Amino acid sequence: MKKLIICIALCSLFSCEKALFEEDMASTDPKVNFEYLWKECNEKYSYFELKNIDWDAIKSKYEVKIFDGMSQDSLFNVLGAMLTELKDDHTNLISNFNVSKFGVKYLGQDNFDWRIIEDHYLNQDYYTSGPFKHNFIDNGNIGYVRFASFPGTIDGANFGFVLNRYKNTKGLILDLRENGGGAVSDVFNLLNRFVESKTLINYSRIKSGPEHNDFSEDEPVYISPYNGIRYKNKVAVLTDRGTYSAGSFTALATKALPNLMLIGDTTGGGLGLPNGGQLPNGWFYRFSVTQALTLDKNPDYENGVPPDIKVLFNWGDLTKDEIIERSILELQ
Amino acid sequence: MNKKTLITSILLLVAFYSFSQNEKLDDEKLSINKGRPNYIGVTMGFGAGNFRDFATSPLIYNGNPFYLSLSTLKMDNKRETESVFSFAFGNYNSIYNNHSASSNVYIFSLFHSELFQLNKLSSEKWNVKIGGLLNATANLRFNPSLLNNDFGYEIIPTLFGSMKVTRDISRERVKNKKFLFIKYKLKSTSRNLAFKLNVGLINSAYRNGYVYTGQSSILNELKAFDDYQFKFFSGFRMNTVLDYTVALKNKNKIQFSYLWDAYKTGGDFNKLEMAQHTFKITLLFNTNNK
Repeated sequence: MKKLIICIALCSLFSCEKALFEEDMASTDPKVNFEYLWKECNEKYSYFELKNIDWDAIKSKYEVKIFDGMSQDSLFNVLGAMLTELKDDHTNLISNFNVSKFGVKYLGQDNFDWRIIEDHYLNQDYYTSGPFKHNFIDNGNIGYVRFASFPGTIDGANFGFVLNRYKNTKGLILDLRENGGGAVSDVFNLLNRFVESKTLINYSRIKSGPEHNDFSEDEPVYISPYNGIRYKNKVAVLTDRGTYSAGSFTALATKALPNLMLIGDTTGGGLGLPNGGQLPNGWFYRFSVTQALTLDKNPDYENGVPPDIKVLFNWGDLTKDEIIERSILELQ
Repeated sequence: MNKKTLITSILLLVAFYSFSQNEKLDDEKLSINKGRPNYIGVTMGFGAGNFRDFATSPLIYNGNPFYLSLSTLKMDNKRETESVFSFAFGNYNSIYNNHSASSNVYIFSLFHSELFQLNKLSSEKWNVKIGGLLNATANLRFNPSLLNNDFGYEIIPTLFGSMKVTRDISRERVKNKKFLFIKYKLKSTSRNLAFKLNVGLINSAYRNGYVYTGQSSILNELKAFDDYQFKFFSGFRMNTVLDYTVALKNKNKIQFSYLWDAYKTGGDFNKLEMAQHTFKITLLFNTNNK
């Protein structure tokens, strides 16, 4: 018996986890990586139905372009092009030599030029408070606040300073054009200064199974008022096709906030939270796994949140920003 | 009856059999318990490990974590009770196809073990104990390459069936030795070699749901365990420990150990596989000087 125990013990001691675990899946085989990426998207991407994408047809279209011995660059181009079919800038393929992207901002014209704003509205003595660049415009009647990205650094001090500075203005312009997004926490830290009571702004749901329409229950999203300086006058939120992700979340929320109006062009969308992963060949990918829904539980704004007042840039006159001009009129 | 239930039942029967040995009176038990040596253990170690989280990557990440632990141990030939809190940390890497990714891994583990001597298999030199071990391991991983999925964590609670075999290899007499022309003396020492095998009977996991990251960040209500699911019977875990323990004259002990721990969670997707090999040294301070 003792010998048996010793044998069992030694076998266990030197046993290797290889026997316990699944085989190593690392592979540069183009077909393996193609199948892996297609399947991951097929089971987790959240907007097939809304965008009317036939993912099986996409597989047939790109599968024929995969062959043994193809170069890494060629494989990247095929897989990247397949992801681009999702028409979603939250979808990327990332290798150490390239990053694939869709480029939603090119669906509309360019509607923003910072130099025009500096030269003709702000002057060069504008303030920079944390992530905000801001100054008085329209002879001190309006506050202009440029918020170029969502870096996750909005805090009580910097935004409080901004709002306190413009507390006596008729209105505020919050410029989110060409704001590609970032930390979603900033969305709530930004908007909680413009509500006076807990407000339902949208719903959200997340993939919960492999079928294209498997989602969790619709979860409500609320904003509660900030316990400090808040701005109670009208706010014009400026958007364009480059306003994406957290920028689009902010635009979506304005639809539920009576003091905020959306001026400019339709946003780029990007209302799905991106989910990251790695392929068997070491490349990385990401794509959307949630849906943000309007108050009537519609996911359509993934294709862009439409403005309340549509205004486009006139590139024939480089002394004016038509979107700011219209905002000044609306805030009077 | 499936295989897992059958194995669990057999191991539990063995355990019940071992516990049903000659019962002693309560007063006598109390006296024996009081007389059992108590130790506080401080451990440092170093090792090698690997993991693979299928929720985010099919690739294996390898690393060399450091290991620290604090423990209490109450033991003699008849019974052994051990409680341990351990912390291991290290950088794990996946390097493949000229692409590399790095994950900072922090492993917290809390376990309690009870072992009882199996009289029929024990002798003067051999001591066989069986019992159980309850372990909860929490892993935290930070991998910036995974973008929105950069932070991952889970809790793996496991109830093990345990068996420990100890061989007394003490040198009872002084030995005079000679190496080439150098004469030296080997003093008598009390020491033993022990091997412990723990096999998971109830393997549970508290892991992410269908999607690796939940949506609490976009719901404006951050939750640590967003959309997590507890699976009572999920996967498999096994670990072994080889200890070489030397008793010191001051009643303290020093222990050199090799630990192998491996587990995987179950299910068809989002499995986690993790294995650690750790070499460690433990100073056992006798607190009741027995």
